[in-house]
Amino acid sequence: MKELVFAGFGGQGILTAGVVLSQIVLYKGWKATWLPSYGPSMRGGTANCTVKYDEKYIYIPGMEEPDLLLAMNMPSFQKFQGVVKPGGTIITNSDLVDSKGAREDVTIVEVPCLSIAEELKNPRGANIIMVGAIARVMEDFTMQEAIDGMNDMFRKKGKEKFEAQNTIALERGYRLLDK
Amino acid sequence: MGDMIKGNDAIAEAAVRAGVQLYAGYPITPSTEVMEYLSWRMPELGRTFIQAESELAGINMVLGFAFCGKRALTASSGPGISLKQEGISYISKYRLPCVVLNVVRYGNGLGSLRSGQSDYFRDTRGGGNGDYRCIVLAPSSVQESVDLMYLAFDLAERYRIVTEVMSESALGQMMEPCEFPPMQELTVQDWALDGKYTHERRVAFMENYVTTAHENNARYEEIKEKEQRYEAVGLEDAEYVFVSYGIPGRVTHGVVNELRARGEKVGLIRPITLWPFPEKAFEQVNPNVKGFITVELNDYGQMVDDVALSVKKKLRTDIPVYCLPYVFEMVKRKDVFRDFEKIRQGQWKEVY
Repeated sequence: MKELVFAGFGGQGILTAGVVLSQIVLYKGWKATWLPSYGPSMRGGTANCTVKYDEKYIYIPGMEEPDLLLAMNMPSFQKFQGVVKPGGTIITNSDLVDSKGAREDVTIVEVPCLSIAEELKNPRGANIIMVGAIARVMEDFTMQEAIDGMNDMFRKKGKEKFEAQNTIALERGYRLLDK
Repeated sequence: MGDMIKGNDAIAEAAVRAGVQLYAGYPITPSTEVMEYLSWRMPELGRTFIQAESELAGINMVLGFAFCGKRALTASSGPGISLKQEGISYISKYRLPCVVLNVVRYGNGLGSLRSGQSDYFRDTRGGGNGDYRCIVLAPSSVQESVDLMYLAFDLAERYRIVTEVMSESALGQMMEPCEFPPMQELTVQDWALDGKYTHERRVAFMENYVTTAHENNARYEEIKEKEQRYEAVGLEDAEYVFVSYGIPGRVTHGVVNELRARGEKVGLIRPITLWPFPEKAFEQVNPNVKGFITVELNDYGQMVDDVALSVKKKLRTDIPVYCLPYVFEMVKRKDVFRDFEKIRQGQWKEVY
């Protein structure tokens, strides 16, 4: 069972990124749960969701000890870096997150997703770039599986006009971490 | 397997598939997505959706519609369901069927938006004034929410009883893949009021209350006999049996699986019907069991009372019944492990 936490400002596409990753999991024939943080919140505050996936039924959908944290802003990085499993990974949006002084028992992967999205002329695609990076880091999905799972989801929502842009963004994120 | 879908959206679609013809209610977090979904889905199918001016108006519209022999639904959260109790009591008095969805949020009064199980006492005991019961179904996943909502309408009509689906904040808000059952034909019950005096007229205060009481009693006994539902794990050899429902029940199931994989003799009863409470599960428990432990998402335990009564009734022993209450949000696996260890060390006081 794998556990991922997606966190950032409201509006950064955090919750959507979690759903896209979940759909990639389902597309592979596995199971997933997606649980948003819920309750009173403040404009400009943090939004987050926990995604768990496995080949088998997931009994515990809540946040326990994530294998991976996506930190899209500084408050999220500060709030959640402590809960990541020792040996886990934190992917940061390095355009906004300064990871100096981070825990030493986790791997930090810096992705300047806002700059890349700007470069791709797809400023709203930063979260999809991150989904690509996450799919790569988890080592459970080929790039094609990730692209197909994502496109399948947006097609069903009638948003296939963004398919080409989304594919480029996800591919870019996935390939950034090629060894 | 279907796609990721939010619990509240899925349960609303399940009601549509079950043939609901009227939704009337008033929005409240964390149940509002149910209304949002039905606000476009019902008109799309030529069915009736009403955002009532209040919870009271909503439940009384449901009452009127139920008199017409058609499937009706209302949804709310704890405080809103409190407001609906007058209507629920009347619907029960007239022996009408309807389905009530409670997406439970934690707390007293206005409560909070957090997930909780603080409405157990009220909802399993009827909730309003008078002597009546409602069937209460408690799902633990999005798929089970769909399946139980679909079942709820059948049970409501079969016994002419208010049937509640008790979801919770986390279950309404989370996403999981699920499959939907087929669309049912819309039906009208043969006892429905049709405006033509087809049926014998009944006047308030003139019915024979003694006869009605006996009839209701027989009906409740039949429901208790036939409709208990639960999931059980490892009861035959269990030294300790956990009892937990809803999402906490699901988490506890995960904990029990882990403990059993380590060779620990623990079992689980996950009630799916909260009323009737699944007493029958207790007949299967190892006679040498050392204790029962409820895992609940409220301040001091509520279901623990029903567990103690079931132990008395079915096991006839005085073994301890403990409660692990976790107040609100999500029961944590590591907390259950830690507190179970305290129980075994004799450091946790039993409730009964």
